[in-house]
Amino acid sequence: MAELLAVDDLAVTYRLGDTLVHAVDGVDLVLPEGAMLGLVGESGCGKTTLARALMGVLPGNATITRGRVLLAGTDLVSLSAGEHRARLWRDLSFVPQTAMNALDPVYRLRDQMREVLCRRGGLSRAAADRRSAELFTTVGLDPRRLMDYPHQFSGGMRQRAAIAMALALRPKLVIADEPVTALDVIVQRQVLDTFRGLGLELGLSAIIVTHDISVVAYLCSMIAVMYAGRIVEFGPIERVMGEPAHPYTMGLMNASPDLARAGAELTPIEGSPPSLVHPPMGCRFAERCPFAERACVQAMPATIEVAPGHSAACIRSGEAGELRRRAREVATWRQ
Amino acid sequence: MAAVKAIVEAFGLAKHFAASRSLRQALRGERHVVRAVDGIDLRLERGESVGLVGESGSGKTTVGRLLLKLTAPSSGRLAFEGEDLGGMDKARTLRFRQQAQLVFQNPYDALNPRFSVRRALTEPLTNTRVARAEHETRIGEALRLVQLHDAQRYLDSLPHQLSGGQLQRVVLARALVLKPSFLVADEPVSMLDVSVRAGILNLLRDLKERLGLTAFYISHDLTLVRYVCERTLVMYLGKLVEDGPTDAVVNQPAHPYTQALIKAVPRPRVDQSRQQLPISGAIGDAANPLSGCRLRDRCPYAFARCTEEEPQLLEVAPGHRAACHLHQQPNA
Repeated sequence: MAELLAVDDLAVTYRLGDTLVHAVDGVDLVLPEGAMLGLVGESGCGKTTLARALMGVLPGNATITRGRVLLAGTDLVSLSAGEHRARLWRDLSFVPQTAMNALDPVYRLRDQMREVLCRRGGLSRAAADRRSAELFTTVGLDPRRLMDYPHQFSGGMRQRAAIAMALALRPKLVIADEPVTALDVIVQRQVLDTFRGLGLELGLSAIIVTHDISVVAYLCSMIAVMYAGRIVEFGPIERVMGEPAHPYTMGLMNASPDLARAGAELTPIEGSPPSLVHPPMGCRFAERCPFAERACVQAMPATIEVAPGHSAACIRSGEAGELRRRAREVATWRQ
Repeated sequence: MAAVKAIVEAFGLAKHFAASRSLRQALRGERHVVRAVDGIDLRLERGESVGLVGESGSGKTTVGRLLLKLTAPSSGRLAFEGEDLGGMDKARTLRFRQQAQLVFQNPYDALNPRFSVRRALTEPLTNTRVARAEHETRIGEALRLVQLHDAQRYLDSLPHQLSGGQLQRVVLARALVLKPSFLVADEPVSMLDVSVRAGILNLLRDLKERLGLTAFYISHDLTLVRYVCERTLVMYLGKLVEDGPTDAVVNQPAHPYTQALIKAVPRPRVDQSRQQLPISGAIGDAANPLSGCRLRDRCPYAFARCTEEEPQLLEVAPGHRAACHLHQQPNA
């Protein structure tokens, strides 16, 4: 598969008064064309910052301090803000967490679709309306509802409209930030199935940013697990969830509830992530990791390929099988 | 089993709100009635943990507010320890406010950012006139219960100095400091990260066992209810549609709505079912509920009777009830 996106040592820093917060600190990521990648991590791990950096829509106090983002060969970091913005919708587009933020409450959906299709895509109004109807059908909305205003839509319908808009100019890559978090389970499932259909039928390439590993398991073909500003594990979903090689991924799986598993004990990961103002020089998970050794806190672990396409940033990933066995025991995680 | 006494009992409980659909309607003074809770019967036994699940707009939060006397029912009756909630005088209401406590959803909003943990925990004691001499012991106990050991470390902290998990423990301690017998928790873990959420869920389970609390959990998240509740209620558009032991509700859901809710929950594993859900569309309109069964426009099994007659919550197995004509013989 051809490489669509390659992120290389990307770092983003926020300035808050006199302090610098290293929200994204050396991220490497590769997305083949047609892949759906789940970017999973907990609050404050930098996943939204990473998504915004890829989109070129970082807030004013954030700077990309190093690294490259190659989208189909073009380095997005080297583009000016204007050039980057000009690529939005055409090369890459965005589905936000709450679609109300993407939709303008005072315009009909048709007019908002026209805005993208005519102004950005250069289509005539008639062609834009035809394409809008097509897009609405693709995401499971009745094309007649194009005449509605966003408030006439339910939450799930708005989310689908936002997806339709993101697909309008056939972008190479769609980035969705927590696209189903605000939705009830049944509607969430409908929107997930919309995404899944797009992946299966149109070969959509997408990055789904989420805190919910179950959403990734349901939808994605690849997963990147992020912790404290870095990707700690990356690979095909069956590999990473079946045979996790990083203790944080193991812990995350243990802590994730499974409706179908009766009475299974949930194991929390004690402690909390490190400060990103002065991140530790060693492994950022070491403080919470039941398997940490002295070497773990002394130097940042290199990313090691544990199987083809499956990598983990853990010096003990060679013993992953044994660590997985121990990680399944509740006592391992008690500190 | 003879001596089990209900701590909370509701009969035909309903809460209707008047609302306007648009500014134009509001200006014309036109109102219509939103039937948030539309006639439910409920019985919580002492020491039981019961979960109430449903989508947004199902009325589940309103049920919680009714049970805590934070809002008055439009009709129906509600009793706490056999006593009518509506008929309580001031002194009895004050005592009820100690016995029944609410755990808030968002720990970041539930605590005043300028109040230290000590002050947040003292306030309910002062409000319910607990003797000052007792405060310190009570606060220490509450913090131990939520496993914030080393209380001195936390007492003078402000909310922003604590992590999300610690905050939620403080919110829980604030409810427990009054030694309640009844706890209502509205989405107690939905704001927490998974690695922290697991700890709070285990704590809730542990508290139930240690204190024998009666707890009512309100959540959109079946997995939460699965972990902490022995009984589960499912609500749809103001009505209870299923009530049974949690295991039975999850493994043999009787109502098509419950079946869909369970199937819709994604699982943390790659080999999971991706079959289409048995029900489609989105939750209906609580201002204009359908005749008969309120789910019938979304239900693949709907037949004539579902339009004509409202299904009643009837037993499908011992202790397991569902409001669906599929399980009920006509004229039975």
